[in-house]
Amino acid sequence: MLLREKLLKGEFVFTVEITPPKGPDVTKLINKLSQLKELADAVNFTDNPSAMMRMCSLAACKISLELGFEPVFQMACRDRNRIAIQSDLLGAHALGIRNILVMTGDHPIWGDHKEAKPVFDIDSSLLIKLINKLNDGFDINGNKLNGRTEFFLGATVNPNVEPLAPQLKRFEQKLKMGAQFFQTQMIFDIEKLERFMEYAEKFNTKVIAGIVMIRNKKMLHHLANNVPGVVIPNAIINKIENMNDEDVKIFGIELAGSITLDIIRKGLCHGVHIMAFSNVEEVENLLNYIRN
Amino acid sequence: MIITKSKKQEKIASYIERYKSFFLIGCSECASLCGTGDEEAIKQLKEWLESEGKDVTGWLVAKTGCQILGTKREASKYKDSLERAECILVLSCGAGTQSITELFPDKTVIPVNDTLFIGNMRRFKEFEERCRACGECFLAITGICVVTLCPKSMLNGPCGGYKDGRCEVNPDRRCAWVIAFDIMQKRELVDRFYEDILGPKDWSKANSPRIYNAKEKKTDVT
Repeated sequence: MLLREKLLKGEFVFTVEITPPKGPDVTKLINKLSQLKELADAVNFTDNPSAMMRMCSLAACKISLELGFEPVFQMACRDRNRIAIQSDLLGAHALGIRNILVMTGDHPIWGDHKEAKPVFDIDSSLLIKLINKLNDGFDINGNKLNGRTEFFLGATVNPNVEPLAPQLKRFEQKLKMGAQFFQTQMIFDIEKLERFMEYAEKFNTKVIAGIVMIRNKKMLHHLANNVPGVVIPNAIINKIENMNDEDVKIFGIELAGSITLDIIRKGLCHGVHIMAFSNVEEVENLLNYIRN
Repeated sequence: MIITKSKKQEKIASYIERYKSFFLIGCSECASLCGTGDEEAIKQLKEWLESEGKDVTGWLVAKTGCQILGTKREASKYKDSLERAECILVLSCGAGTQSITELFPDKTVIPVNDTLFIGNMRRFKEFEERCRACGECFLAITGICVVTLCPKSMLNGPCGGYKDGRCEVNPDRRCAWVIAFDIMQKRELVDRFYEDILGPKDWSKANSPRIYNAKEKKTDVT
């Protein structure tokens, strides 16, 4: 069953995330995909995350499709104008890619090509509108296409931010523009997710919660300070600061596991998206924790 | 106004190495407010050139360097000293520099400044970019220019990267959309704004080079 069908039927989904390689060699990518496909319902391929230049998500999606693992093509607005966006989307569709997750994208200032010209020709709300027009058989300017695309369209939302009101308005706008599911920024504070879901429930949409496992203190500091939109509660930061790295790893899995279990027990969301930074073992560890 | 910043002395030195005599032209408008094109800036440049063994044949502070014909009239009074100079150094923005290039096609014209942005002056010699001349103003809707002040030029609300109302790109700044949202709330425009969607923006209005004929109200983008 496809991700779309599972979500629409109300089945709880597990998706994972892979960052395409920095370079032309896809051997490791293929190895990881072969292992992960037994563990998750679909795999998201990030689009030059944190503006670090990598292989394109589209090519990784195609590789995954060939291996029989359903991909989610992540597309940011940072690197392409509306012409390139539509062109890539039509190409992705021709290659059999159907799931798209759109986001505005991190600014180049975070990446390894800080001097690059940020494009941001359209924002993610407009990108959702654009993809729905492709699904209706038209480009963004209303020119007729030689057929309709059949994209299953996801958008992102960040329940962690303060103030929350502008974020909620954008969430509503993305829904109005035709987003069919949402994926959240990584969640460390279940109360913030609950606060958001209380609001989101009335819109009858599907929400997949982002879950990450903190591996060590270095990763904690990186997430807390260098990843836009990530908010880690001080109580968690302080707790980890007093641990050694071996304990941090165990704690990271327990924390991610307990948040996931909370989400499942309370029926908060419709799935979790495991951001294990391409680490297969961690995905296994988390899933084992949940099952046990 | 147009904000300018003096180039580093070493950079200027590399441009003027092969020339001996110079005429200096400043600008009494924006560059003077920036301290990069006023009499003081010209005198400092003159002193430095002379200390390097160069000749300064004369100088002038143009009233409005980007006004081509006005600057031509002002420069005509310095015909002799301009003729004696191998090179003209311009202390204005890039627009002013190109007025001079056009007026003196046989001279080498070199800018002393880098042109940074259209800016507002907050305090003396402290400038902020508020407008990027995108060709279509949305200030009636958003109150502050989100095309300029949001590093991603978001048209429909904030991205997901802000923390405690601060911008992900520069946490010293408040998120432009958090500010715009506050303004829209005060004006009771939020619900109306989100009934629709703003954009996609017509970036063709910002394509360079632009010309505008105010007499005929005609804009042309070539």
